[in-house]
Amino acid sequence: MKGSKYLPIIPVYIGYLVLFLIARGMPGMWQLMAMLVFYCAVGQAFNIFFGMTGYVNFGYVAFLALGVYGMALAIHYFHQFSWLGLGIVIIGLLLAMVMAGLLSLVVGAVALRLGGAYFAIATIGVNEGFRYLIEGAKIWGGSEGIIFSKQMTEAFGREMANRLSTLWADISVLLIAAVAALITLYFIKGKIGYALMALREDEGAAKVMGINVTKYKLIAFVTSALLAGLIGAMAWGLKLTYVFPPEVFDISYTVEAIVIVMLGGAGTLLGPVVGGLLYGLAKYWLTVILPGFQLLIFAPIIIVIVVAFPEGVVGVLKRRVKGTALEPFIL
Amino acid sequence: MIWNQLAGNLTQGLILGGVYGMATMGLSLIFGVLRVVNVGHGAFVMVGAFVAFWLFTALGLTPIAAIPAALVVGMALGFLFFYSVMRRLVGAPELTSLLATFAMGIILEEVVKLIFGTEYRGYNWDVGRVDLSVTVLPWAKIYAFLGSVAIAVLLYLWFNKTRAGTAVRSVVEDSEGARVCGVNVGWIYALSFAIGIGLTVASGVLLTMFIPVGINPYMGGPYTLKAFVIAVLGGLASPYGAFFGGLIFGLIENGSYTLFALLPGAEPFALTRFLSFAILLLILLLKPTGLLGAKE
Repeated sequence: MKGSKYLPIIPVYIGYLVLFLIARGMPGMWQLMAMLVFYCAVGQAFNIFFGMTGYVNFGYVAFLALGVYGMALAIHYFHQFSWLGLGIVIIGLLLAMVMAGLLSLVVGAVALRLGGAYFAIATIGVNEGFRYLIEGAKIWGGSEGIIFSKQMTEAFGREMANRLSTLWADISVLLIAAVAALITLYFIKGKIGYALMALREDEGAAKVMGINVTKYKLIAFVTSALLAGLIGAMAWGLKLTYVFPPEVFDISYTVEAIVIVMLGGAGTLLGPVVGGLLYGLAKYWLTVILPGFQLLIFAPIIIVIVVAFPEGVVGVLKRRVKGTALEPFIL
Repeated sequence: MIWNQLAGNLTQGLILGGVYGMATMGLSLIFGVLRVVNVGHGAFVMVGAFVAFWLFTALGLTPIAAIPAALVVGMALGFLFFYSVMRRLVGAPELTSLLATFAMGIILEEVVKLIFGTEYRGYNWDVGRVDLSVTVLPWAKIYAFLGSVAIAVLLYLWFNKTRAGTAVRSVVEDSEGARVCGVNVGWIYALSFAIGIGLTVASGVLLTMFIPVGINPYMGGPYTLKAFVIAVLGGLASPYGAFFGGLIFGLIENGSYTLFALLPGAEPFALTRFLSFAILLLILLLKPTGLLGAKE
């Protein structure tokens, strides 16, 4: 049946549609829904590399941060050319992708030739290393960061700047999440997915079979970083209109991405969405009843999942629906 | 003038490097025996720093007395963590142990945060200083260096002269073979993990002598990064390689500080941290098995 390989995207998009309708239809829900979409998007971007290869990128937040810087620099330097209009946002997105992409190429080209242990070691330094480069060499505002809300007003006018921050930033994160889902599906169902699955199971054997493992790992790694850059540019840069190194390089975003993907099911299409919703709701609820305790609660959850529940929710669901009419929809 | 400054900083670097080296031996031991990278390394260093701080301020014990206490605390943590979690993850995909140690580090940080809060704390153990003309070294730092060397030597003797040490080496060589020869491999894993964590926590005590700004629950991050650079320099799986890697790294870090300070408008301290990362990538690019010639 032609086209049936795209069926698993349906539950993902239904999920996003429901979030969007709740946000538009129920007053006061926009911010919560935007947060849930953000976590789903982060989970999907992270999953493309982590879920499919089994390699942990502990420096993931660096790519989000570079995305924020991309948007910040574009608005900071181009705001006086107001004839560019929304072109400035496009420049910001391009810069975000170029910077996140370049960093991931450099780190990936060096560290992905080696095994998972070396890769983890290399990436754990990425966010610290880059943050201290910015602070130490005093580039891009150094340790003070960049605040660009004023420049945004100058570039786009008060009303448009406002709409960009409060409406379009969130909607574009939803779009990025939707694109990330398509890319994930394309990878899983295609040659890249088979190569990655083979190397995740047994990298040595995959190599012997003639698969260029480094190439496929690098493709997944750079894709994941590009999406992270876009999410950073929109969900943080355009939305919050400032960038401050200790906040954008905060390791807890990496922790969140890991929890989301592991909880939902690593390497699955639907997993990051389920994980993102569960995590987002749990976090929202925890900040109300136990503010400041989220890391203390989610870190043990990582251990419990790793030891007792490595398949995640969607992994289990996939086994349950095997042989039923639902099977083609769950991936 | 600049040469004097450089010589002074390199002397300081050598002293600090010895402590860095000792602080990385636990990481290398755990990787060598269990093939597990302890991503939560820095958090264990932090626990050691708080042990020293607490013993000094609450009980008036000197950091030298805190070393065995930290070793015991660390080994207890190590056994606890091993038997509750790590035991199930030895030989499992790398991903699982990476995530587990990462999460463990976060748990430690958050628990210490609950107890002590996030503000910087410090103590001052003043036992005089010695003037070397190019630089002035407090005795506390010299003691820390000597303590590191002593611990490294003890570990060497334990490895090479005792039955348990020999058993550990046999597991490193060939765990199946060791099992056949009657070595209790599970126990060796537990013991090595506990000693590795113990050494790491003990190193936190020594490192407090080099931290002018004081300690806080999130101080560990940079030490994780430094320990990785040092461990890779030394060949990742060799505790002695790690010790010498530490000496080299201490020299590079302090030497480069002098040079970065010459750059106008730069923040040399932050740049040395970036340099750790750049060195790490460079070694992984050129000679991932370590400068000291270990074979993988």
